[in-house]
Amino acid sequence: MALNQEQQGRLLRHLNGELSPGETTDLNQFLKENAEARSFLRGVAEQAVVVADVERLAQQREPAKVVRPVFNPVKWAVAATIILILAGSFLFSFQSADRGLRAEVVATHGPNQHLASDGVTLPALMPGVMLKIGDKLRTLSSRSWVNLKLNDGSHVILSGRSSMRLIHDENHRAFLLRYGNLWATINTPEGVRPVSILTETARLKTTNAQFDVETKFEEISVINVNKGSVSTERLSDASQVDVGADQQTIITMSQRKALTALRQPEPVNYWNCGMLSCPEAVHGRWLKSNEENDVRLRAMPLLIGENKTIHATNFSVRSSGSPPVMIEKGSRFSIRLTSKTTDPLYIGITTKKRRGGFFGKYTEKLEGDLLGQAGETRKINISISDFAPLDKSLSSSPVGTELTDIWVVSRMESAELEVHHVEFLPREVQP
Amino acid sequence: MVLSEQDILKRLMGQRDRVAAAAWLVVRDAHSAEDIFQNVALKALAKEVTFDSDGALMSWAFITTRREGIDWLRRQKNAPVSLDETILEVLEAEWADESLAQADGRSQALRDCLNELPEKSRELLKLRYFDGQRCEEVASLLGAKLDAIYKRLSRLHNSLKDCIETKLNQAVS
Repeated sequence: MALNQEQQGRLLRHLNGELSPGETTDLNQFLKENAEARSFLRGVAEQAVVVADVERLAQQREPAKVVRPVFNPVKWAVAATIILILAGSFLFSFQSADRGLRAEVVATHGPNQHLASDGVTLPALMPGVMLKIGDKLRTLSSRSWVNLKLNDGSHVILSGRSSMRLIHDENHRAFLLRYGNLWATINTPEGVRPVSILTETARLKTTNAQFDVETKFEEISVINVNKGSVSTERLSDASQVDVGADQQTIITMSQRKALTALRQPEPVNYWNCGMLSCPEAVHGRWLKSNEENDVRLRAMPLLIGENKTIHATNFSVRSSGSPPVMIEKGSRFSIRLTSKTTDPLYIGITTKKRRGGFFGKYTEKLEGDLLGQAGETRKINISISDFAPLDKSLSSSPVGTELTDIWVVSRMESAELEVHHVEFLPREVQP
Repeated sequence: MVLSEQDILKRLMGQRDRVAAAAWLVVRDAHSAEDIFQNVALKALAKEVTFDSDGALMSWAFITTRREGIDWLRRQKNAPVSLDETILEVLEAEWADESLAQADGRSQALRDCLNELPEKSRELLKLRYFDGQRCEEVASLLGAKLDAIYKRLSRLHNSLKDCIETKLNQAVS
């Protein structure tokens, strides 16, 4: 039976985001039972995307207006092929291991994995190990990092949960960053080939720069340049932009926005993750709201070595291009969480130098008595002064640096750790 | 037989409007729906997944689209309430049941019908679906009441549906 105007109006109001959760539940039932309503909804959806497509094409014919992207299968096939070729290049690269890229491991911390170019698993990386083209390394947990020194004296640091391979790209010394965080200080003498960093979405080239790259969901690359200049290319459409000192760019698969370099925002001393609106949550599983709790992030297992698993949530403070967050004397965290056991939890942070490179990782152990009754939601306040460096080579305090990521970890699966809210606050000012 | 990259691209492009429409039903923003479709197409080509039939490809594409749409919603502030996933699955199954030839014909007919619309009607659809304005904003821009906008949209969607069916019937006869 054909829908009446009131029923169609209800569907259009849903598409306009007007219906309450209760009204949406009724609408779900209506749609379940009414094929005509489903047909109407499918028709409206098709018409909406085709209207947008037709308008995009119309605007493309008018050069003065902003051009919206149109799917170009050839372009996308080329982009996909480039990614495949880059990812596969290591297969060939071990045949040419002497083409210029060798990297010496100068420092490591936390669990890591080393795979040789022939796929053989090697012992975890230790200082002194030499890496060559085709080698792959993974840092396995938020607390991990590996510092590499290239043969021209440049440094590359892989940090957090990250994976990288040494490859050969267009005659450049190159790193394929599959996912995670990379910090680089490149200082290439004249006559030596530049260094390339490749991600799923971007190609970066430089001979002289200090910068960091973070990939998110393997589809977004955030590049912050602190010194020098990095030439960046968006692989999906080959558009290019030079990112200079104190600038950043975000490169996605989408061509909707023109590729541009923007000045890095001014630093702030506050950050919070309101969960549902928190694009910075990069590890964990979202749990739906229920009668007792709003949306929250459940810790997910991470295998960090043989027979060794932790359960972690991870927030990358700057992964969406938001302002740098400065750590001041007196800064503190306010975290709301639930743990079903009284086993200790570990809160950790990664920091970088102000407008500079990797600084260090710091952690604080929360004993069970601080967590209160098992299963209860607890609000925990932690001062920045409670955090201790993870490695004796690090400075004793992160004050004066920029916060880049936060993790909350339990060693116990039975803890069923859930993080409800994370907030980084400035020091309290006495009235 | 495993589908080649060329086959995958051809099938996905043939179903582009439907896959993007499935994304739109979740995110309700045409440009984001297009982005999601492009991501899904890229994943189908670039990831280590293979498809032994059109059905397997389309089933994967609709599920991946829904997941990407839900992830997109989670990243938005004040995201609208989404339909139940079981309803989205039924809608996707109905889309997937449509043959490639039927889908192609409907897409072309819809484009032809849009071109035949009066300027005022086209402007309304553009404001709502291309510019992504909410109905309240469209009402304000056009100096009309909200109920009137819903009625006009409702009539427009129905007339486009009738127009598509007429064109498809003409093509058959």
